[in-house]
Amino acid sequence: MAERKKLLEIKNLKQYFNEGKLNEVKAVDTVSFDIYKGEVMGLVGESGCGKSTTGRTIIRLYDATGGEVIYDGVNVHGKKSKKQLKEFNRKMQMIFQDPYASLNPRLKIADVIAEGIDIHGLAKSKEERMEQVYELLETVGLNKEHATRYPHEFSGGQRQRIGIARALAVQPEFIIADEPISALDVSIQAQVVNLMKKLQKEKDLTYLFIAHDLSMVKYISDRIGVMYFGKMVELAPADELYRNPLHPYTQSLLSAIPAPDPISERSRRRKSYDPASHNYGGNESIEFREVTPGHFVLCSEKEFNQYKAQSNH
Amino acid sequence: MKVEKILQVKDLNISFHTFSGEVKAIRGVSFDLFKGETLAIVGESGSGKSVTTKSIMRLLPEHNSEIKSGEILFNGKDLTKLKDKEMQKIRGHDISMIFQDPMTSLNPTMKIGNQIMEPLIKHQNMSRHAAKERTLDLLKLVGIPKPEIRINQYPHQFSGGMRQRVVIAIALACNPQILIADEPTTALDVTIQAQILELMKDLQKKIDTSIIFITHDLGVVANVADRVAVMYGGKIVEIGTADEIFYNPQHPYTWGLISSMPDMDTDDEELFSIPGTPPDLLDPPKGDAFAARNPFVMKIDLELEPPFFKVSDTHYAATWLLHPDAPKVEPPDAVKRRQNQFNGLTGVSVGTASLEKGSQSQFPGIKEGK
Ligand SMILES: Nc1ncnc2c1ncn2[C@@H]1O[C@H](COP(=O)(O)OP(=O)(O)OP(=O)(O)O)[C@@H](O)[C@H]1O
Ligand SMILES: Nc1ncnc2c1ncn2[C@@H]1O[C@H](COP(=O)(O)OP(=O)(O)OP(=O)(O)O)[C@@H](O)[C@H]1O
Ligand SMILES: [Mg+2]
Ligand SMILES: [Mg+2]
Repeated sequence: MAERKKLLEIKNLKQYFNEGKLNEVKAVDTVSFDIYKGEVMGLVGESGCGKSTTGRTIIRLYDATGGEVIYDGVNVHGKKSKKQLKEFNRKMQMIFQDPYASLNPRLKIADVIAEGIDIHGLAKSKEERMEQVYELLETVGLNKEHATRYPHEFSGGQRQRIGIARALAVQPEFIIADEPISALDVSIQAQVVNLMKKLQKEKDLTYLFIAHDLSMVKYISDRIGVMYFGKMVELAPADELYRNPLHPYTQSLLSAIPAPDPISERSRRRKSYDPASHNYGGNESIEFREVTPGHFVLCSEKEFNQYKAQSNH
Repeated sequence: MKVEKILQVKDLNISFHTFSGEVKAIRGVSFDLFKGETLAIVGESGSGKSVTTKSIMRLLPEHNSEIKSGEILFNGKDLTKLKDKEMQKIRGHDISMIFQDPMTSLNPTMKIGNQIMEPLIKHQNMSRHAAKERTLDLLKLVGIPKPEIRINQYPHQFSGGMRQRVVIAIALACNPQILIADEPTTALDVTIQAQILELMKDLQKKIDTSIIFITHDLGVVANVADRVAVMYGGKIVEIGTADEIFYNPQHPYTWGLISSMPDMDTDDEELFSIPGTPPDLLDPPKGDAFAARNPFVMKIDLELEPPFFKVSDTHYAATWLLHPDAPKVEPPDAVKRRQNQFNGLTGVSVGTASLEKGSQSQFPGIKEGK
């Protein structure tokens, strides 16, 4: 890949909840990374480490406590006219983690999916609107006949696919997919992932893909970021991360992937991660450092040198 | 060893009455659950896994669902016939359930701590103080840091995976005889998932709980399951021990599932996915519901529903391919690799099937369809 264009620049992003109180949570704590146009950036990490909050802050569902999100050269969190905002909302879409909570129970599926089409005036007639809805339903492996049903009449996986259809409806450029496939059976997972890849190629879509299934993340992502307690601890090209995980949390994560193989599961050994094991001294500076080109790790100078030595053979 | 049946589901048929007609969601499901075992249910999205287990808990929506026929025997009692009051006692005490959507089982306006304490006080007659202690313990057990602070928060202040862990804590609180877990770990990262699975196994060892575990993650199935049931189109199409399903699957739908998984080496090629769409349960097809998507479809698949064929004492599959007169077909490569792996490890070659006693024994000769 020659000249890669940055679509998003996330700089020192912070999102604190209940700031200054006893129950303050630094859900996102000074996180920086770029997303290039047309790539799939995977985001993995412990439950509660701030992945969804990162996504939600990028898309402006939350005001950032600090830092910047630059989309195509424009500061997302800066002041904007109504028209600019609307345009942003179309370009960036989010597929939500909790498909049940994110679908309006009173709307028929056709209207759930067409909401964005209506808001942005993307269909010229009623017929065209329904045509688009049917096409989207088919794209995500549902059928026409589902259009007149209500969200509660669907299984968990079916609802998730409705959420995907709804996001695709407004022809976005950038999609944040928050665990878009974990509720789906493996065959439909494969179908959705193939679909996302196809759209990526055909429409030059860019994704931030948040997920727990590490074999799927590896398969779909160009690069992967690993978060732990609000911090990005490692970021590398997908293959590199799996071949040469450096941060001990990443190692523990990779060692816990269950294999669809009962015999090997019976003898599985997991590595556990204890943050105290770093044993950082008080004056050591812990920074996000580039160990090999494109492979970043949050580490001390001393660890950095170890990682470098480790990676050079 | 595992002989005592704690739950027997017999020929269950369930429909939903909807605007578009009768959705025949469950069409003749039967299975046993043994004491102390983990039975995993896998299968297509929409195939009826959640409906089957919700019916055990009697938690299907009253206004539009109907149990058309069948029995659910728990310790000899038919749960479908119990009065609401009796059922309430069983629910959350003898049988507890972890739901697929954690938000639907948490009350958004109630503090997390109170939601866990309530059933402890109600069902187990604990004092407020004891219930609070137990709640803190449970939250620690499921890996929620700083539980003293967390019990005073509301569900929206928790991440998706943390909510899921709260639901797990509630379900474990009463040491149930049967735990039904519907996708309990899909919202969790693999390290916390591993912790939760350990926790469930511990509980099982301690009090001999039987677990029904629904998941799409075949890695998790391999880790937890003693036996596996595979559902498709409102039916169980294959059931067997974990080894039998993973290393010697017989149903072409199970073959499709196993072929769809990427392994850590799958790279740029497109992932396999089973072509076609799930059957329309408003008007289920005649014959084998999987026929339209089955690359090995035969004429008979379109006419007659396949009975269960016996592969071993513990392994049954409902596909005409197992009939002695059926042509021999080559399973997909991903499946053959598994069979070879297993044969290599055990030295036993995988078995052939026979028709189960009492089932249809004569049928029109099979001819290759299509
Ligand atoms: N309340 C309802 N009204 C109408 N149809 C329903 C209702 N609940 C479920 N169904 C239908 O019953 C079928 C089985 O649904 P179920 O939720 O059991 O699927 P599942 O196997 O759990 O799928 P998933 O893996 O996606 O959770 C689906 O076709 C679904 O659309
Ligand atoms: N609205 C909120 N108010 C207070 N705290 C919150 C809020 N939303 C999230 N948090 C906290 O922020 C942290 C990060 O949550 P987030 O939902 O981003 O995690 P996640 O990485 O997406 O986890 P999961 O994999 O479980 O979905 C958690 O500690 C959570 O409790
Ligand atoms: Mg999340
Ligand atoms: Mg379900």
